[in-house]
Amino acid sequence: MTAAIAQRDRWFGFAMTLPGLLALLLVVLFPILFTLWTSTSDFTLLKPSNDAFLGLSHYTQAFATPEFRHALSVTLAFVVAVVVLEFLVGFAVALALDKVEHGKAVYYVILLFPLLMNPIVVGLIWKMFLHPTLGIVNYVLSLVGIPPVDWLGVPDNAFWTVVAVDIWHQVSFMIVLLLAGLAALPKEPYEAARLEGAGTIRCFFWITLPLMRPVIVVTLLIRLIFAVKTYDIIYIMTRGGPGQATELVSYYIYRRAFVGLDVSQASAMAVILLLVVLALTAWLHRYMRSLAQ
Amino acid sequence: MKKFLLASSMLIASAFGAEAQTINILMESVPDTRYVQEMLPEFKEKTGIDVQLEVVNYAEMHTKLVPQLVAPEGSYDVIIVDFYWVGEFTKAGWLQPLDERIQADEFPVDNYIPSIMDLTGKVDGTTLMLPFYNYAMGLTYRKDLLEDPKHQEAFKAKYGRDLKVPTEWPEYLDQVKYFSEDAGIEGFKGVVNQGQRPDPISMEWSNYLFANGGRYYDPETWQPTLATPEGIAALTQYRDSIQKYGPIGAANFSFDDAFNVAAQGKAYSYLTFNMFRPVYDDPASSQVVGKMEIAPVPGGGMNGSWGWAIPKSSPDPDAAWEFIKFIESPEIAKKRALLGGAATQKQIYEDPELIEKFSYYPQLGELLAYAQNFPVFTYTPEFVDVLGRELSLAVADGKDPKEALEQVDKDFAELLRKDGKLQ
Amino acid sequence: MTEIRLANVTKTYAGGQTAVDAVDLTIHDGEFFVLLGPSGCGKSTTLRMIAGLEPISSGDLFIGERRMNEVDPKDRDLAFVFQNYALFPHLTVKGNLTFGMKLRGVPGPEQERRLAEVTAMLGLAPYLDRKPGQLSGGQRQRVALGRALLRDPVAFLLDEPLSNLDAKLRAQMRTELVKLHRRVARTIIHVTHDQIEAMTMADRICIMQDGKVAQVGAPMEVYRNPANTFVATFTGSPPMNLVPGRLEHGAVQFAGASLPVDVRASGGDVTVGFRPEDLSLVAAPARLPINAEVVAVETLGADAILVASLIGGQEVGMRVPADTALSPGQPIAVHLDPDRLRLFDPGSGKTLPRR
Repeated sequence: MTAAIAQRDRWFGFAMTLPGLLALLLVVLFPILFTLWTSTSDFTLLKPSNDAFLGLSHYTQAFATPEFRHALSVTLAFVVAVVVLEFLVGFAVALALDKVEHGKAVYYVILLFPLLMNPIVVGLIWKMFLHPTLGIVNYVLSLVGIPPVDWLGVPDNAFWTVVAVDIWHQVSFMIVLLLAGLAALPKEPYEAARLEGAGTIRCFFWITLPLMRPVIVVTLLIRLIFAVKTYDIIYIMTRGGPGQATELVSYYIYRRAFVGLDVSQASAMAVILLLVVLALTAWLHRYMRSLAQ
Repeated sequence: MKKFLLASSMLIASAFGAEAQTINILMESVPDTRYVQEMLPEFKEKTGIDVQLEVVNYAEMHTKLVPQLVAPEGSYDVIIVDFYWVGEFTKAGWLQPLDERIQADEFPVDNYIPSIMDLTGKVDGTTLMLPFYNYAMGLTYRKDLLEDPKHQEAFKAKYGRDLKVPTEWPEYLDQVKYFSEDAGIEGFKGVVNQGQRPDPISMEWSNYLFANGGRYYDPETWQPTLATPEGIAALTQYRDSIQKYGPIGAANFSFDDAFNVAAQGKAYSYLTFNMFRPVYDDPASSQVVGKMEIAPVPGGGMNGSWGWAIPKSSPDPDAAWEFIKFIESPEIAKKRALLGGAATQKQIYEDPELIEKFSYYPQLGELLAYAQNFPVFTYTPEFVDVLGRELSLAVADGKDPKEALEQVDKDFAELLRKDGKLQ
Repeated sequence: MTEIRLANVTKTYAGGQTAVDAVDLTIHDGEFFVLLGPSGCGKSTTLRMIAGLEPISSGDLFIGERRMNEVDPKDRDLAFVFQNYALFPHLTVKGNLTFGMKLRGVPGPEQERRLAEVTAMLGLAPYLDRKPGQLSGGQRQRVALGRALLRDPVAFLLDEPLSNLDAKLRAQMRTELVKLHRRVARTIIHVTHDQIEAMTMADRICIMQDGKVAQVGAPMEVYRNPANTFVATFTGSPPMNLVPGRLEHGAVQFAGASLPVDVRASGGDVTVGFRPEDLSLVAAPARLPINAEVVAVETLGADAILVASLIGGQEVGMRVPADTALSPGQPIAVHLDPDRLRLFDPGSGKTLPRR
């Protein structure tokens, strides 16, 4: 009897989720499979069809392309820089905000503001602010006697400027997630530690950090996955330059497809990127499951 | 702009209600599109055909066009083609030849400035497009400073020649040096450059290349010729312009960044698209109203233009031709020029009424006559990408100009071989 | 001798509400002292002020001779056991137990020795390498106690330590706590809302009501002679019966009965209180019977609670033998020993002093 009910419930559930599953299949699975197919074929914008099977040649070609390898290494540096710095800044701000008792909503609104902005807008605003002769940033610096800084015209500066703008844009994401984690921490272990004589710093390293570990890992990984895909601010602010200082891999792949017209080659590179992101996601998933147990 | 969008959306709305013949055109949101828009009522009155413009940003155009061009019947009757895409569109065979229609209607194609007709008109002897508007580059400079006796005297003393509108490239380079180093104007530079990858730097540097007598390839063999003394000199000069004489940050300036520096009166000269000459006289965006003038780049500037074309996938090619014939007729071309359009026909630049209104028209006519073309082939956009990368590496990242240009030659040759141009 | 003394201790929050209102208490050295009261009565706050987890708004706290108001919690030499144990979830049982010793820099061998002693005492040895998440409630409770024991403090402060355990385990832990108390011979201040815990474990109970001390005394003293109706109803299960009555000429009249009482007050309305076990069923013609009617009989196993309706409609509970066979609606006669009667002022609820 109960088995029959369970069976019926299963079918009903399946029927209810079917439209959603089909939609997912259509908008997620189909493009991925098509990309996989295209990456082994000869699709270009001049001849937009898959006609020949070329095996993995586009994949070997990708790794043989110095620009692609360079873009991968710049992306790696960029991702590490933004994730680490955003984490440090974000955690510091979250710890400070966690202690705030009044006006938390005001801080939230201010903090969330950049996050609500379109990255294109963020790029345009900062490009304007950072204009070396007409921008407000160098003007303010000049008021305190600092000579104008060439934010985007020198390779190293440009890399760190883009990193800084990304931090400005995305750090609230870290703050909000970490703050939620901090707010959910039990109060008693801190009181217990205080009775045992642990000070603020001890409490942070002995209690906060270990207790926050799951939240920290999840936050870092989500941010990491998004950082790998950074495209907009590069497109707006530097176009990968000066030189090749800010050549992020997403922007490079976009150009392979729509400037180089070589959709198959770009697909192979996109699949490589997808595999990296997928591996990170799988690790995240497993880690979260191990926490749940 | 808002008004314009509103008007076009109303147009779209009205198109659904009406039974009349309608043609669809994909266009870019630039001033010349606005001038076309203003001609549409007259076209409707004349032919009874409704025109529906879909106006998008440059970045979206290519992605929107390709699927429509590939389809057996697309949604656009008329398209506009940047010279960038000419090679690709021709190679793919997406455009209808116009020669028969031109002959049948005796359309005066000889009016077009030859270099522009070469760029976005005739391809290998077949007329596939009619030029729409040009964006050839010119030298914009501070007329007031050039005419200042104090500077004339000081310049002559130091460089041993008169300070006047430059007709020789080294003369211009001296002027740049003078206004950066000797003129003694606080925070003022002899030049501002647009060093951002890939289009700004590639387009601007082309002027330096042509001015030095260099060229992209041997027209006989398509053999790339950038790593030559002329090319290396051009890149060295360009690097010096940005790193020694220009304002800081120019290595990553886009068109806007650089134009603003010039328009704020902080630079003596700026090589830019001629269609932006009138903006210097607009007090809303300029501090140098009446002080800037345009001249041909000594040695010939970089050419650029858009063309009208009827795609093979056009649902109504006859109506499409009616429209092109109308909008490019000498009468309408003049009307568009009067509104501020960047004309492509010779007689416009000799028209007294227009010269009366735009004093710089004779210079503009001359500039267009000497403008030189960027390589047009299937992989032009990718070539711009490669060129921009190497130029930027040389300008901002210390790469040796010769090495950078050798790399460009190598990649250029590879693209040309892929396209079948180079054996 | 380490006596803990609260003098006029008050806790007022920023919002203006007073959680603890001028509490005076003296807790003797080695005493098992229970703070009993409903939630919100201020008992936990009082405990937290003693521990130093909450600042004292006014009044003085002494431990021994020393005034402790401004002394850092870690220097008060007290151990605290939290209601939800407050174990460090990322540390093993061993890590939890040695956390404090590590902080205080106790030498390694000494740590091991004391750890072995405490784990043996609490039977925790098999679980040393487990994390709190892998332990049962009772085991976690033991770890929390172990952590407190390892501090070797002058007093243990326990904040509702048994409330998260199931009934059986709670009863077991009550016994263990009492044994432990005897063994370590240190002061324990135990906060609870469960009067059974208080009655079974305490040397003395302090019942708190609305931030004030309602009564302090030995369990039976509090049970027998509640200081007011609140204490009367908060202790005992079922609680003391309270019915309105009238005092006249040395006798109290209620529910159609008249019983002689021995109070100083001469007359007026009173509240009459008596415990369920002070009532007994009698055959109909007895001396001074109270007539009532059966409402329900709730069997408890060893005995039963009979709910009866008195003349006037008040329902009272009485403890009767388990085999009492009565059905609802049946009239009964009830006997009440006048010595067990307690009278309260119906206005203030305070007990009327005996002569």
